[in-house]
Amino acid sequence: MVMADTRVVEILNLFKRFDELVVLDDISLNVNLGENLVVFGQSGSGKSVLLKCIIRLMKPDKGKIYINRNDVFKLSIKELNNIRKNIGFLFQGAALYDSMTVRENLSFPLKRHFPEMTIDQINGKIKTALENVSLEEAIDKMPSELSGGMKKRIGLARSIITDPALMLYDEPTTGLDPITSKEISELILTLQKKLNMTSIVVTHDLICAEIIADRAIFLRDSKIAFEGKIKDLTSSNDPFLKNFFSHELIKV
Amino acid sequence: MKLPRIIYGRRLSYADYIYNFFATISGLTIFNLEFFKQAFMPPYEVREVKKHMDELGVKTFGIVSVTGFIIGLVLAMQSQPVMQRFGASDFLPGMVSLSVVRELGPVITALIFAGRVSSGIGAELGSMRVTEQIDAMEVSAINPFKYLVVTRVIATTMILPVLTIYVIFIAIIGGYLAIIITEPMSFEYYRSSVIQSIEFGDFIPAVAKTFVFGYIVGLVGSYKGFTTEGGTEGVGRASTTSVVLSSLLILIFDMILVKISLWLWPTLG
Repeated sequence: MVMADTRVVEILNLFKRFDELVVLDDISLNVNLGENLVVFGQSGSGKSVLLKCIIRLMKPDKGKIYINRNDVFKLSIKELNNIRKNIGFLFQGAALYDSMTVRENLSFPLKRHFPEMTIDQINGKIKTALENVSLEEAIDKMPSELSGGMKKRIGLARSIITDPALMLYDEPTTGLDPITSKEISELILTLQKKLNMTSIVVTHDLICAEIIADRAIFLRDSKIAFEGKIKDLTSSNDPFLKNFFSHELIKV
Repeated sequence: MKLPRIIYGRRLSYADYIYNFFATISGLTIFNLEFFKQAFMPPYEVREVKKHMDELGVKTFGIVSVTGFIIGLVLAMQSQPVMQRFGASDFLPGMVSLSVVRELGPVITALIFAGRVSSGIGAELGSMRVTEQIDAMEVSAINPFKYLVVTRVIATTMILPVLTIYVIFIAIIGGYLAIIITEPMSFEYYRSSVIQSIEFGDFIPAVAKTFVFGYIVGLVGSYKGFTTEGGTEGVGRASTTSVVLSSLLILIFDMILVKISLWLWPTLG
């Protein structure tokens, strides 16, 4: 019997450098269907670069990335966009469009990708997305009227409104207080279960990782220094990892 | 579209400045070619173009009205004593209107427009770039160049000629007011003198070149905003350099276009 290939994202021997600074050095990893992978690492260790390479916002110097067996860097823009329609991306600063209200931010991808949708259907989708992030009252607000946590939630609502199969999160809880951070992490997990998504979460927040992660990797010196379960990562005898997680463990 | 990177920093060498000069020229050329490649491909963002035209019109209406009125007024006030000294007061309406139509109206409107609009586009797209809004658009499979740049460049190209015609009209009115302060002249006489002295050949090349000026304002602002890097400092830089570069290009292209129009319509000389 042939086993079904469940790899959604496959990264092979990825290299990326900025001038003399090597940020990704021979990174290879797979993410399977329905899995939540957490990417740990210090600030500047190349976590966000990895995420941006996956969605082709950046081009690596070497290596290949496959999404559903499509070589991301060999696709035409049209083919790439067809794949991107099935991917959600939550940016570190939420990246809400300043000139649009929350409603317009959410309807923007829908109107573009589903021109056949009626106004009622679009409004229905917006309502559900806002209910999912518990921010129905913010519908007519401008992004400048929202707090950091609210922006993250709306950013999350915008990312999931097209029902993506793959979600990429860039530091979803950075800059938030521990309670909001926990709420956002639980929200991500709930949505992932509800919508059956595959996720890659870049973070250095252990609380967030413990809630979300099925598997974790740790980037150090541009390489994958650890790959496995979160428990094994936090109980590792490696002095660097011990030191990295000690502060977080005290909090937990 | 791959654009050459500009070198930023507090201590740039002469070689860096020379590199930046050529990088900007080649970047603008690539940006320009990309505009023509994408402007004719569907989807045509007609609603966005209309929205930007509305905004730009409203934003600049006040300032160009005042500017236009003052240009006409000052030009007539300055020229009146000289014309009187040479006994050529009758030619004053013609002189004011010809100066305003052929050069002052189009160029000053374009420079005011560059100051108001190019900096605005540079700052707006620049802040969208540094806050990852342009990346967000790209990962949502929406073409940010088409949605943000093409629409703005079309809007500036279309709206500047309209504003210029309006400024010319206001400046001619301003000229009349300056004249009647010191000497009596009927509006009917002023109007017929103006109409007699302006030919179609004066008007068409003057307005035609404002399409080019409008295009420059939109393209330079968008290029500077789209290629912003370096956080809020970069946004400020994009805004300022947009105005400087677009004003400079407007004056250079004015020189070139005047030469071309004199070559095409030798009677203008």
